[in-house]
Amino acid sequence: MAVAVARSRRGLKRIVVGRPGGAARGRGARRFAPGLLVVGVPLLIALAGPLFAGDAGPRGTSLTTGAGHPLGTDFTGRDVFREVLLGGRSVVTVALAATALTYAVALPVGFVCALTRRAWLEEVLMRPLDVLLAVPSLLVVLLVATAVQPGPARLATVVALVGIPDAARIVRAAGAEAASRPAVEALRMQGEGWVRLALGYVGRAVARPLAADIGVRLTGAVYLVATAAFLGVGVAPDAADWAVMVDRNRTGLSVQPWATVVPALLIVALTMGGNLLVDAALARPHRPEKNR
Amino acid sequence: MSATGHRVARRLLLGGAQTAAVVLLVFAATEALPGDAAVALAGDQPDPARIEAVRAAMHLDRPPLERLLVWTAGLLHGDLGVSLTSGRPVAAALADGFGPTLLLAVPTVLLLVPAGIGLGVLAARREGGAVDRVVSAVLLSLYAVPEFALGALLVTVFALRLGWFPPTAVGYGTELASHPAALVLPVLALLARPVCSLARLVRAGMLDSLASPYVAQARRCGLSRTRVRYAHALPNALAPAAQQLARTVDWLLCGVVVVEALFVVPGLGTVLMNAVAERDLPTVQGLAVVFGLVTVLLNLGADLVTHRLAPRTEVAA
Repeated sequence: MAVAVARSRRGLKRIVVGRPGGAARGRGARRFAPGLLVVGVPLLIALAGPLFAGDAGPRGTSLTTGAGHPLGTDFTGRDVFREVLLGGRSVVTVALAATALTYAVALPVGFVCALTRRAWLEEVLMRPLDVLLAVPSLLVVLLVATAVQPGPARLATVVALVGIPDAARIVRAAGAEAASRPAVEALRMQGEGWVRLALGYVGRAVARPLAADIGVRLTGAVYLVATAAFLGVGVAPDAADWAVMVDRNRTGLSVQPWATVVPALLIVALTMGGNLLVDAALARPHRPEKNR
Repeated sequence: MSATGHRVARRLLLGGAQTAAVVLLVFAATEALPGDAAVALAGDQPDPARIEAVRAAMHLDRPPLERLLVWTAGLLHGDLGVSLTSGRPVAAALADGFGPTLLLAVPTVLLLVPAGIGLGVLAARREGGAVDRVVSAVLLSLYAVPEFALGALLVTVFALRLGWFPPTAVGYGTELASHPAALVLPVLALLARPVCSLARLVRAGMLDSLASPYVAQARRCGLSRTRVRYAHALPNALAPAAQQLARTVDWLLCGVVVVEALFVVPGLGTVLMNAVAERDLPTVQGLAVVFGLVTVLLNLGADLVTHRLAPRTEVAA
């Protein structure tokens, strides 16, 4: 897929040389196409799948293929196709909630640090986060899971907390770069208020890198939530969840591969497509040719 | 030179703070238990005797500060506590799982560095060339894929369809070392993410170095391409990679837990997951402290190495 990006990018570079105006727009849209295609299938199934799942039919024999079930049956005899339709929602919603929560904390903290003139305030806010950077993320999730058996809401909170130090650092770095520009000094001298300065100028200047970083966080959250679910954290042991399906059905991998392979492929596509989108967003549209 | 010393001292101080944070965070898990910790941990068999046993084993009748001090003092002596379920010292469980985990970790780390650097250099040979496009596409695609999903697909293709490797390590027990074929798929699943991140950084670093004035100068002096590439460009491309190498340790720790669960390897990850399932908090805490401290130390080491490789760049905290 990404080969196609590189190829189209290269082809378009030639067009850009010829007709700069019209090609830039087309390039912006086409850059995102492969990522959107790859991420679209699992995302569509995750969000719209539950609407089409229908009622749970009678349970059949465990781990069979065919016989009225397009993808066979799972380890408890449920229809795999229906489970696949239902199983994406938990991963996607928990990851989305976690990312939103991470940014709800990281954005104000990072902005205050980037814009403040008081060095001690920055130290007080950022140093504790630096300290927490070194703690392995899955370890925190497992530790919390042992103390309080978490549901989806708690899992989202923990995944969000794990992401805060890194996100705050990135917000601060992006904001500090924008806040040191001459335009900000000029606005300050004009007596513009903090809010207009922070939201009106710096906020707009960092929107693009932060959008890409939100994509990075989201892919990371999907990774962590799916991995936790695979290890049995934050989900019921027979939950309709792609990661749980991979875990529970892999004992029957040799007789009924679909029950494991289909959810595994969907998770792979979700993370892979997210990554391709982030990469497309990070590639600057008007990058000057390197003179080498 | 004094500025360097100052920076190294700051980094060491941060390392110390991180160590303290890991210990405190792990200890805080006991305090996070809802209600009476002993009742919460007794779980499925809440008879008074079991609750008393848990209370005694974890010294829950004493104030938290005293427990923290006793626990930390124990850590300093290598005493990680006692398991709630088996009554054995946590250090013994750790020693049991150490071998298989090492069998997974050593080949992974040994392959990680040459594979990551090799792929990065290979892709950077000609930016935008066919090799670069294929390698970059694969690196980008595999970068964020969870190990368990990739591992399940690897097992389906290479173990069940093609029959090249055994699907799990079940049945090899302690003689895992004499069955290297069983280690191929776990190591591959474990390698995928770190190799991708490392190679991407090396590629970016190489492209930057190759475009720099000093490389142009070296070429003008008539040095051979190989010498320019490996003796001049590569060392500078390695500085960010060294740092990333330590960051990937976090991933390897996560990965080891997942891969051991997927391939049924009786290592530290399995010990940890069993303890999580049984809500054996002292064992989880003991393992978490060890894993956490290893991460802190490796990050510290990597930052100091980075500092040696590229003294002018700021050492990231």
